[in-house]
Amino acid sequence: MLTDQELDEVYTQACYRMTEVGEARTPLFLARLALLLMKEVGDAGRVRAAIEGARDGISG
Amino acid sequence: MVRGFKRGLSPLVRSIMGATPNYHEYFEYRHYPLRVPRIVDGTDPVRHPVAIVGGGPIGLALALGLARHGACSVLIEADDTVTYGSRAACISRRSLEILDQLGVAREVLDQALPWTAGTSYYRDVPVYRLQMPMDENQRFAPMVNLQQCMCEQVLVDRADALADRVDIRWQTKLAGIVRRDDGVELALETAEGNYRLNADWVVACDGARSAVRQALGLRFSGSTYDGTYIIVDIHLESDHPTERRAWFDPPSNPGSTILMHKQPRDIWRVDYQLRDDEDPQEAVKPENVLPRVRSHLEWIGERDDWRPVWISAYRANCLTLDSYRHGRVLFAGDAAHLVPIFGVRGMNSGIDDAHNLAWKLAAVVQGKARDRLLDSYSVERVFAARENIRHASKSTEFMAPPSAAFKLMREAALGLATTDPFFATLINPRQSSAITFADSPLNAADSNALPAGPVPGEVLAECPLESGRGAKHLTELPGMGYTALCLTEADPRAAFAGLGGLPLSVVWIAPRKTVGADAWDSTGRLFPLYGAAPAAFYLVRPDGHVAGRWATLKPQSLRAALGRALD
Repeated sequence: MLTDQELDEVYTQACYRMTEVGEARTPLFLARLALLLMKEVGDAGRVRAAIEGARDGISG
Repeated sequence: MVRGFKRGLSPLVRSIMGATPNYHEYFEYRHYPLRVPRIVDGTDPVRHPVAIVGGGPIGLALALGLARHGACSVLIEADDTVTYGSRAACISRRSLEILDQLGVAREVLDQALPWTAGTSYYRDVPVYRLQMPMDENQRFAPMVNLQQCMCEQVLVDRADALADRVDIRWQTKLAGIVRRDDGVELALETAEGNYRLNADWVVACDGARSAVRQALGLRFSGSTYDGTYIIVDIHLESDHPTERRAWFDPPSNPGSTILMHKQPRDIWRVDYQLRDDEDPQEAVKPENVLPRVRSHLEWIGERDDWRPVWISAYRANCLTLDSYRHGRVLFAGDAAHLVPIFGVRGMNSGIDDAHNLAWKLAAVVQGKARDRLLDSYSVERVFAARENIRHASKSTEFMAPPSAAFKLMREAALGLATTDPFFATLINPRQSSAITFADSPLNAADSNALPAGPVPGEVLAECPLESGRGAKHLTELPGMGYTALCLTEADPRAAFAGLGGLPLSVVWIAPRKTVGADAWDSTGRLFPLYGAAPAAFYLVRPDGHVAGRWATLKPQSLRAALGRALD
C-alpha cells in the first residue's frame, strides 16, 4: 500500500506530467499510464475491478 | 456469361478496371460448357442424394469430400468458370491438411508461397514480429498464399477426375427451392431452358449473399463494423520475402493502416482502411486508390513499375446463422457465416465446414448414421464460427478501431510496444487456427485424462514417424472412417477382435521399430506429445478431430464413443 505521503506525491507527479503534455494529449497519456499500470498490477481481477470502479463514478 | 449470386468477400463495390477484369492476364480462365441433363416433364429424372448450390472453394471441397467418402453429389454453379478478382489469398495449415485428404495438397503447394512470419510497424518502427507456430514436427507451413481462382481451379480439376461422383452443372442458376419432408426440389435456370432437380439433401455453399439463405428467409445475427477497406491487388516484381506486413499510421499514409501480402505470379495484395469521412463509392475509384498505393510503395522502397489488377471495397462483418441445418438444407462457408478478413478465417473456416460435413453427410446418405449426426455439424461449426468471430473481432478492432476510445488505446499500445515487448501481444493478428470442439456431442467423456496430447474435440497434433512405407506424418495415418490410434508397445489388435466388426480401423504405433506395427515413433517425440506413458489410445473421427482418448484400451468406451456418431 502507498503511504499518504507517497500517494500525494504520485498524484501530483501525474498532474505535472499531464500539464506538460497538454490537455489535447492527456487522453493518450492516461491511456499509456493505464496500460503500464495493467502490466504492473499483473492481476486481471484487480485490473477489471479498477476499470469498473473508474466507470462507476462517471454518470452517462 | 450468367452472372448470378456471387460468393465471396461480400464486396460493397466491385470496381472492374476496363471492360473485363485484368486478372485474366495473370490467370488463364477456363470456361466450362453448360450441360443440361435429359429432362422429363421439366424435371431431371435422376434423384440426387446431395445437391450443392455454389461452386466456390467450399462447394467444391464438399463435393470432393463426399466423393472421397463414396457419396455422389451434383453441384450447381451460376458462372462458367472459377472466381474472378481478388478474394481469399491465404490457406492455413489446417486447410492444407484437408486439401491433402482431398488429394490436391501437392497441386496447391506447387503454386503457393509458404510463409511463417510477419512484421507490424508503428509509423516507421517495427513493433511486433509475428511468428506462427512452426517446428520440426510440422508437415505443412502454417500458411501459404495462393489466389482463390488458382485454388478453385485445382479443386475443379480434381472434381473433373472424379466425374462419376461429382457432377458440376456450370452456368446453372438457382431460381427457387421447395422443401419437403423427404427431400428438396430446386428450380434451376439455364440459357437452354429451366428444369427442376430433386435431391435428398441440399447444401448451400453459395456465399455471402446466399440465394438459398434468402429463399428460406433466414437471417444472420451478429454485428457489422462501420469501417470500409479497400483491397487492391497489384502486379509488382519484388524480391521481398513472403510475410505479412502491417503498418499503423505509416508516413506514406498518415492515420491509415496498411496490410501487404505477397501472392504467386508477382501479385501483391495491399489493403487499407478508409477514413470515416470517405465515401466508399468514390474511394474505390482508381484515381483515388492508386496515389495511396504509389505513395506507400515508394516509401517502402519498391521502385519497379507496378500496375493495379483488381480493386474492391469491403466491410467487416461478424455474422452467423444460429443453425446450419434447416431440415434437409444445410449451410456452409460464407452462406452460413461472415467473419472479418483479419486473421484469414473466411475461406479457411469454410473449408473446415466442408470437411466437417462431408463425412457426416456421406454417412447419412449411405445409411451408416441417422440424420441427427448432421445436427452435430451445426453445433460444432456454429461454435467454430462464434470462436472465429471472437478472434477476428479483436484483430479487426485493432486494425481498424471502431471508436475514438479504441483508437486512443491502440495509439497508447503501439507507442509502448516500440520499447516494451510486453505490449506487442496486443498487435498479434491472431491468425486462423483449428477450433477445438470441447463440448461436441460426439466427444467421449475425458475421465481418464492423459498427461498430454489433444483433448476430445481437438485436431491431432502433427509429428513425423517412420512406417513400413517410409517416412510419414501422424495426420496421414488415420483411415477414411473412425480410427483407433494406438500408441503402445504391444500389438493392440487382439483386443479389438472381440468388438464384432466395429466400423473402425486400427492403427498401431510402436515406440520403436517393431514387426507388425503400422508406424513407430522414430523421433521419440510422439509418445510424450500424446501423453503415452507408456500407452495411449485415441479415437479419431474421419475429419481428424479426437473423439476420445484413454490410457488403457477400453473396448466398451470405444464402442460407446462410436455410437455417438454412427448407428
